[in-house]
Amino acid sequence: MLKRRDFLKALGLGGVGTGLGFMLGESIKTPATNLIPYVVPPEDIVPGVANWYSSLCTQCNAGCGIIVRVLEGRAKKIEGNPHHPVNQGRLCAMGQAGLQALYNPDRIKTPLIRKGSRQSEEFRAITWEEALSVLAENLMKLKIASNTEKLFLLSSVIRGHMGHLFETFMQNFGSPNYIQYDLFQHKELIFANKVSMGINILPYYDIGNTNLLLSFGADFLNTWLSPVNHSLGYGHMRQGRHGSRGRLVQIEPRLSLSGANADEWIPVRPGTEGILALGLAYTIIEEGYYKGQDINEWNKILSPYKPEMISELTNTDNERIRTLAREFASARPGLAIAGENAASYTDGVNHIIAVNILNHLADNIGKTGGVISNPEAPIKKTQSLKDIDALLRNARAGEVETLITYNTNPVFTLPHNSKIQEALENIPFVVSLSCFMDETTAHADLILPTHTSLEDWGDDITEPATGYNTATIMQPAVSPLYDSRNAGDILLSTAKRLGNRLQKNMPWDNFRDFFIESWKTIYEKQRHTYAGEPVFEDFWNKVLTQGGWWDQEKRTHQSIHFIKDNVKRFISSSPSLFQGNEDEFPFYLILYAHSGYYDGRHANLPWLQEMPDPMTSVVWGTWIEINPQTAGKMGIREGDLLLVESPYGKLHVPAYLYPGIRPDTVSIPIGQGHKTYGRYAGNRGSNPLDLLPGISRHETGTIPLNSTRVKITKSSEKGNLVKMEGITKEFDRQIVQTIPPYERRQN
Amino acid sequence: MSRFLDKLFARFNIYREPGYYGKYDYKWTIVIDLDKCDGCEACVIACHAENNLPIVGEEECSKNRAFNWIRIERYVEGEYPDVRVKFIPILCQQCGKARCEVGCPTYATYHNQDGLNVQVYNRCIGTFTCATYCPYDVRHFNWFSYKWEAPLEQQLNPDVTVREKGVMEKCTFCIQRIRAGKDHAKDEGREVTDGDIQPACVQTCPTGAMTFGDLNDPESRVSQLAKSERRYRLFEDLNTDPSVIYLKRVMKQTKQ
Repeated sequence: MLKRRDFLKALGLGGVGTGLGFMLGESIKTPATNLIPYVVPPEDIVPGVANWYSSLCTQCNAGCGIIVRVLEGRAKKIEGNPHHPVNQGRLCAMGQAGLQALYNPDRIKTPLIRKGSRQSEEFRAITWEEALSVLAENLMKLKIASNTEKLFLLSSVIRGHMGHLFETFMQNFGSPNYIQYDLFQHKELIFANKVSMGINILPYYDIGNTNLLLSFGADFLNTWLSPVNHSLGYGHMRQGRHGSRGRLVQIEPRLSLSGANADEWIPVRPGTEGILALGLAYTIIEEGYYKGQDINEWNKILSPYKPEMISELTNTDNERIRTLAREFASARPGLAIAGENAASYTDGVNHIIAVNILNHLADNIGKTGGVISNPEAPIKKTQSLKDIDALLRNARAGEVETLITYNTNPVFTLPHNSKIQEALENIPFVVSLSCFMDETTAHADLILPTHTSLEDWGDDITEPATGYNTATIMQPAVSPLYDSRNAGDILLSTAKRLGNRLQKNMPWDNFRDFFIESWKTIYEKQRHTYAGEPVFEDFWNKVLTQGGWWDQEKRTHQSIHFIKDNVKRFISSSPSLFQGNEDEFPFYLILYAHSGYYDGRHANLPWLQEMPDPMTSVVWGTWIEINPQTAGKMGIREGDLLLVESPYGKLHVPAYLYPGIRPDTVSIPIGQGHKTYGRYAGNRGSNPLDLLPGISRHETGTIPLNSTRVKITKSSEKGNLVKMEGITKEFDRQIVQTIPPYERRQN
Repeated sequence: MSRFLDKLFARFNIYREPGYYGKYDYKWTIVIDLDKCDGCEACVIACHAENNLPIVGEEECSKNRAFNWIRIERYVEGEYPDVRVKFIPILCQQCGKARCEVGCPTYATYHNQDGLNVQVYNRCIGTFTCATYCPYDVRHFNWFSYKWEAPLEQQLNPDVTVREKGVMEKCTFCIQRIRAGKDHAKDEGREVTDGDIQPACVQTCPTGAMTFGDLNDPESRVSQLAKSERRYRLFEDLNTDPSVIYLKRVMKQTKQ
């Protein structure tokens, strides 16, 4: 009888035999007959194991470093690059939503050419070969007719090598007309800093180490300059330092998200922010906090700004001004910043310079916790001397034959009154390099789809950096989804087709070659700082792995000098001027960047459309903020549709009763009101920029967002206001508990 | 009889003992410093990206059916010009004594070995009991099977289930990340160390207001922060024993 044990033995042998037989059989087979076709998988794909690629966030211009989680070739999540000096692993809502730009259903998938007239908006898909020859033919015509300066190239603000390539292309083509344009370019800030401190690049505002932060209309936690870095600083200022908690005072007519976090809010009259800053400066001088030699001179300059004299104008109690000035002068270090909101008047530069004077007199310039200088960029800054105004003027005069736009949408971000659409109509041939069918692209004759930032090569020189040079690399995390191309590649292949000087001076096969070669030059130039990497290849690998190059050891210690003689002509004692008669248009209008849509570029990302606005919780739409007292007087209830009229335009928008705004002011967020921007953004809400006049600050070529007055009439209809909040009162439920500052001891 | 009942319920009473969950290996906790939180909503979008939360559209939003596992609540005190705004992120509090668990007829929501309050989607039949019992209003119901417009579905996180119509869902403290972190530590033959695991919201928080960790570990950062005199928990008087600890916002009291 077979024992159990023997049975098992036999079974085991049989099993081995079967296995052997199988293996023998397998080894006899030729490899080609194997049933597994995926024998050698791509080396960087292991199913279920994520790859992380470090890259650059392009959702706004802060230049944060990101790492992208890629599984089986698909991007799944974006996180902040923990080693990057700007965002240190953190990311804002806009940055998190970058994935939906890559996987957006409304991306342009192939090159398109216009079928009929500009009005019809009908396009026909063509091949790249055709598209590039159409472009080259057109440029060739300009060249033959010696009209090369009639080519204009308009791009968003690019601080990296893409800008250099554009510049090289335009130079070799023979046109000086390369223009960079974005709605929030901080041109006033750059200009004011140049005048008052002689610096060409933005300094680092050291929020983290300050004891008293005075923010003049800067929504620094949300949209201004480098929100993630400012937020990190804010956290550090509040609870990061042992034994001291920095205070925040926000001075602005409409409470922004940053203002909502302030300890004190001063609802200054719109257009008098700079005057209030000078009032503070006067008190600092008068009460002897300033120790400089030139105290008498300052006393003379600032004498019209005695708090008692400006109290009425700024609508701020003079004692409050004096107390604040004392606190600010003795904060050591304190820091005053002037943001987009204060810069958006016709004389915005004056306001920023006034704030710089305040910083100088309180001795905050060049101090830790104050304004810190940044070193000159390792790459030459792209020379974009002209502004969008030049394009409009030339187009109207018929001086523009061909316009190439890249990644910027002036038809949406300029007011209707700037006549940008008419200007485009006047240009015979418009080429758009874009990922999406935005309003500007819809006006184009030839549309060349570009990669999104997660599919593309590129780089960025951070501005403002954090006190030392920072360059971030953008590398493809996934392979391109569609038949799109890198904008640099498009120009390089065009240069090849045009031949001659262009081909000779732009010999690179693709943008990546040009880009690596440029990094080689940086490496050679600054070789002494890379002691660890003796060969370029090592350096390059390190740069790609860590996401960029930064040299934390190498801080500049160059001090910033305040230039008193320059600033005098920017001190004016009259408040900013407003468009529109006060009797007819009783309300100041404030336009601000939405925390999700920014300048409107992210309105096509459904995550951000459905993100409740932090201050109102409104989703999927536009609203107008109005003080509840004013609304009560006018019989306006929340959700009522209001007709907003300025001397330049009108729009219908639902009311939101907002307690954080002056009774004589209303405000509307920018970002909605797209005509053509895909299924999520198209025909949704309204664009408040159409209430503004055209470009009126010709020296910087920008539009003042806050210099217009409006009137409001209630219409009988109900507006479409969808908000996520219920009621904003706590009713003693103790949900957000607070502790007064003086009771608080250390943790 | 009563002795018999005591014996019978002994194993249930064990849950009532204070510190019961302290016997587990981990007691995951999020500490949120309200003095740092600025209400920017980065956590909300990070959560959407990590946890495959659907976009429901304008009309569904107006019916209050939007999915936000973490949301920022904003409370306004006072009238112009003395307006004070306070923000608080509210997510599932992962209660030690969770109301929702008591009510569920199908045991779809139960306590796991880490002290987390988890939801088994396959068991859920959508009775809404848990959402009704929850004092924090953090549970969200799938009224429809929401679709992603191609190719948006390529972004979906393969580590997280995509929920269908009829299922209740809520914040999981990013349980997929906790599991991955534990597995990773196990592969390296060690315990999970502080900072190994970060839920998506904590990871992205620009001000560093949120901290995640194990409250059982006395050395962890959350244990240190939880000793703060600013510590409080939301609706603590309801005796839900929440795992989310808030640190009070430092601000001047309003004039009454």
